[in-house]
Amino acid sequence: MSDPALQVRDAWFAYVRSKPVLRGVTMHATPGEVTMVLGTSGSGKTTLLKILKGLLAAQSGEVRVLGADVNGSARGRLDPRVAYIPQQLGLVRSLSALDNALVGALSRIGTVPSLLRMLPEDETKRARELLARLGIGHKADAPVHELSGGERQRVAIARALMQGPRVLLADEFISDLDPLTSAEIMALVRDAAVAGVAVVMTTHEMDVVREHADHVVVLRHGETSLDRHGVPDVRAITEALR
Amino acid sequence: MTLRRGAARIVWPALLVTLVVALADVGLLDAGRLGRGVRNLGEFARALFPPDASTLPTLAEAMVETIEIAFVGTAIGFALALPLSLLASPVLFGPSVTAPVKLLLAVVRTVPALFWAIIFVVVVGLGPAAGALGIAFYSLGYLGKLLYETFDGVDPEVLEATRSVGASRWQLARFAVLPESANGILAQLLFMFEYNVRASSILGLVGAGGIGFYLLGYLELLRYDLLLTGLLLTLAVVILIDRASAFVRRAFLFPVAPVPPAE
Repeated sequence: MSDPALQVRDAWFAYVRSKPVLRGVTMHATPGEVTMVLGTSGSGKTTLLKILKGLLAAQSGEVRVLGADVNGSARGRLDPRVAYIPQQLGLVRSLSALDNALVGALSRIGTVPSLLRMLPEDETKRARELLARLGIGHKADAPVHELSGGERQRVAIARALMQGPRVLLADEFISDLDPLTSAEIMALVRDAAVAGVAVVMTTHEMDVVREHADHVVVLRHGETSLDRHGVPDVRAITEALR
Repeated sequence: MTLRRGAARIVWPALLVTLVVALADVGLLDAGRLGRGVRNLGEFARALFPPDASTLPTLAEAMVETIEIAFVGTAIGFALALPLSLLASPVLFGPSVTAPVKLLLAVVRTVPALFWAIIFVVVVGLGPAAGALGIAFYSLGYLGKLLYETFDGVDPEVLEATRSVGASRWQLARFAVLPESANGILAQLLFMFEYNVRASSILGLVGAGGIGFYLLGYLELLRYDLLLTGLLLTLAVVILIDRASAFVRRAFLFPVAPVPPAE
């Protein structure tokens, strides 16, 4: 097994001092694997992902992503090699699918050219190719508010892949999809993992876990109650969720 | 509950007494004066009709100037307000930047449009240029506040997702805050323009151009029939702009509610 792309040791976090959401979570994720984080509502899944992205800072413990301590990075510019897809995708509704995908390239484009929308030809070409590969090339110029749920999911993946990520964090981003679209999206996620990306996604869907997880982490009341590689053991997962 | 009832027993009578005292002080409890007022109102209403349209070409020309003052003023005000409102937005900058900019906008907002027009009459002389600049500064104060409040309402997930790609603050503004606020920006801009057409129509009172100069003149000459023509023209233009705004909104606003999956 290769070195972990991210490692969390004894992470604690509380929005309200007396009610910690994470109580000493320990986990890791490896390049090329799909790690699924499960837990009931309020178990701290979203908070954990935001800490991994550097949007929140753990109040104690160690959080290392791609070798760097990400705790406290919340105020500065965030590492583009760590892609993050929030639950509602965070797409800009009035922009086109292409522009949303190009957002993923902003860290490589200077502030002034991007403000003037003088985006490099090669980035635009790459974004168009990516959208085509994800099956929505024909909708590249359509505004996001005109796209269906599955199409928007693909745009969010395109934005993430434009970052050239080594880690992909996705927060329950397939929960609103029908089973067929969900399977198509998971195939794209698997492609990213095969390309060497460490994928960490939260989900409630046991079928998705059974079919696509290489590594399962279960959070219960903010603590790690299960951390297991290999073929998911549904009984052990269900037990750990209780 | 007892405390609330006790407070209510004091507050309501106190408010009533304050109202009666204030009405007396402003002269609205003087029956003789009110009676004279009603008679004067009747005479004024009779003098308004029928409206005299003989000066309509002159008024129409002045109305065009009023619209131009409002348009230029709104455009300059918006150009100044947009960067300042971004600097005042807590979704982009910390309190060390937002607090002084918000204070500046509050100071600008405190001065009414007519006062700004007087200041610019002193600066650039009599005429529509002073009016346009007056309207611009008045718009800057209001639009600045309306815009940064619009930016505060941007979906936090969009901000997080855009920050996550490693975007700078200004890239965040350009690719997330501004496009996500497009509906709000357009709505505030149209509202401000409509408001400024009305505000510009009284700038003539201080020599800052527009239809207000003529309206004041007719009022002073007791030519209420001509005044009514000017007021009706203003009303027609305001209604027209209101309809045009509704058309622009329909044409450009994108739906806010999420689109359901098509599958």
